[in-house]
Amino acid sequence: MSLTYVLNRLLSVILTLFLITLVTFGVTNILPGDVAMMIMGTQSNPEAMAGLRASLGLDDPLIVQYGRWVGGMLTGDWGNSLIFRQPIAVLLGEKIAASAIIVVMSMTIALSLAVPLGVWAAVHRDKWQDTTSSSAALLGVSLPDFFWGIVMILVFARWLGWFPSSGFVDPAEDFMGALRHAFLPSLALGLGLMAHLTRMTRSTMTGILEQEFIRVARAKGLAERVVVWRYGLANAIGPVITIAGLQVGYLFGSIIVMESLFNYTGMGWLTYQALLNRDMPLIQATVFVIAAVVMLTNLLVDLLYLAIDPRIRLD
Amino acid sequence: MKKFRTSKGLIGVVLVALILIVGLFAPVFIPPEAATAMNMTARLSPPTWDHPFGTDQLGRDLFYRVMLGTQTSLKIAGAAVLMSIVIGLPLGMISGYAGGRTDNVLMRLVDTLLAFPALLLALTISAILGPNLQNTIIAIGIAFTPYLARIVRGEALRVAQMPYVEAARSSGTTDVMILTRHILPNIMPAVIVQGTISLAFAILAEAGLSFLGLGTQPPAASWGLMIQASRDYLDIAPWTALVPGLAVALTVLGLNMFGDVLRDVLDPRSK
Repeated sequence: MSLTYVLNRLLSVILTLFLITLVTFGVTNILPGDVAMMIMGTQSNPEAMAGLRASLGLDDPLIVQYGRWVGGMLTGDWGNSLIFRQPIAVLLGEKIAASAIIVVMSMTIALSLAVPLGVWAAVHRDKWQDTTSSSAALLGVSLPDFFWGIVMILVFARWLGWFPSSGFVDPAEDFMGALRHAFLPSLALGLGLMAHLTRMTRSTMTGILEQEFIRVARAKGLAERVVVWRYGLANAIGPVITIAGLQVGYLFGSIIVMESLFNYTGMGWLTYQALLNRDMPLIQATVFVIAAVVMLTNLLVDLLYLAIDPRIRLD
Repeated sequence: MKKFRTSKGLIGVVLVALILIVGLFAPVFIPPEAATAMNMTARLSPPTWDHPFGTDQLGRDLFYRVMLGTQTSLKIAGAAVLMSIVIGLPLGMISGYAGGRTDNVLMRLVDTLLAFPALLLALTISAILGPNLQNTIIAIGIAFTPYLARIVRGEALRVAQMPYVEAARSSGTTDVMILTRHILPNIMPAVIVQGTISLAFAILAEAGLSFLGLGTQPPAASWGLMIQASRDYLDIAPWTALVPGLAVALTVLGLNMFGDVLRDVLDPRSK
């Protein structure tokens, strides 16, 4: 990787982060009401409201308010949440850690099921194995993931009683408890994700198995197992990882629904609370952080792709 | 048309036709009171002859509610997708056709919007505008626009390099004429396919928004709202979740299958 490439990417990341702040600020400032009204309510006395507006700097031009917001974030002052009455930076730190468990767990579940299933379907193309796996995947993408969540609660929590149906446990206090609480939401998210990834793995693998080098490998008498897993999958894994990376965006959308359903107090739950209570500073912070995480994940995946696929040369 | 004769194509066509018929005609045959009439003596009744899909916690008939909810879902998803096409189509076409700096600026903006998960963007817009039917449409419409713009841009870029566009340009045809006469008709297949698939996602998004209380508001019949309401009665009345859940699943499944086959028919290159 050349230095210019890395510098270019870095510049582009900074530019995108800047644009993300613009979009976030823009979206949260399109409504007529403002933070002062949310703190005091619509019935409050106009003079007190004017005083609060002035003290919060809401009378300043938008560009000044924007500058203050971005400046604050750069210096580590993310402001206070109106509903939690806590510094936003502290809240974010806790909740991101909680959600990281779910993100990693659901990705692991999705990939460890989708890759074998997709390969299996591609190897037995147009046979019953393919039809079964493709139909299951199609059904998976067609069900809303909160529906899976409800099914999980019903089956694994209420009927079987194997896992708790709600709540979050700090892994520092009780590691196994943390995993048990994260399991059902992760499984529900993982199943939806798996459906997407199975379809992608299948189509990528199908394309690769038709190529010349696979025929050569077969012709020289290599075992089918080696041809498929060592030659085929090695070439398919790059695109599959890229697609898995792109799904992180989808995951962060679904996590809002799933954490709220399971009362799992992570980033998605926090975002939902902010939206529900119109806690403007917290909305801005959570929306910005999620977009930034999605963007950085995609960057990371690009770099990972470069690292694992030696055929890609940068000039 | 032969492609529709596969079992997948057939199921897709049948499901989509069924949903459209229910969406269009259910409100004609079912009076709105039927879905809101409460019956406290028949609360959380399992499926019976009187209530084939059972009743909810207020004794409302789930068959009527799920039927009337079809129109709510289709109306919101359809309008939202239409909105994303109305904004995204010209944006993508101009970006792909103009190229250069215009393309760079527009696509940078689109890429930035793509960093926001569609559901997060829709939830945020709906929360800020205030959740109601119209704002749900706006929220989903805006959230889906960047995806459509990206696809249209790619198609426009491809078509703009075709010899016939070159020929039109060298014979002095204006840009507006080229865009409307040559580019637009040739990217329509991709737009129709993407529109169908977006419709499936929009149905899921509407259900998600309503489920979180930031979409369709009660007492309207909406699948997401019905699933939301079922949460407290899962143990004793699982059908209250399963009925609307299956309605969403069948609709989205039908649209996905229909979209897949439509792609094979209209857009064979993408195979």
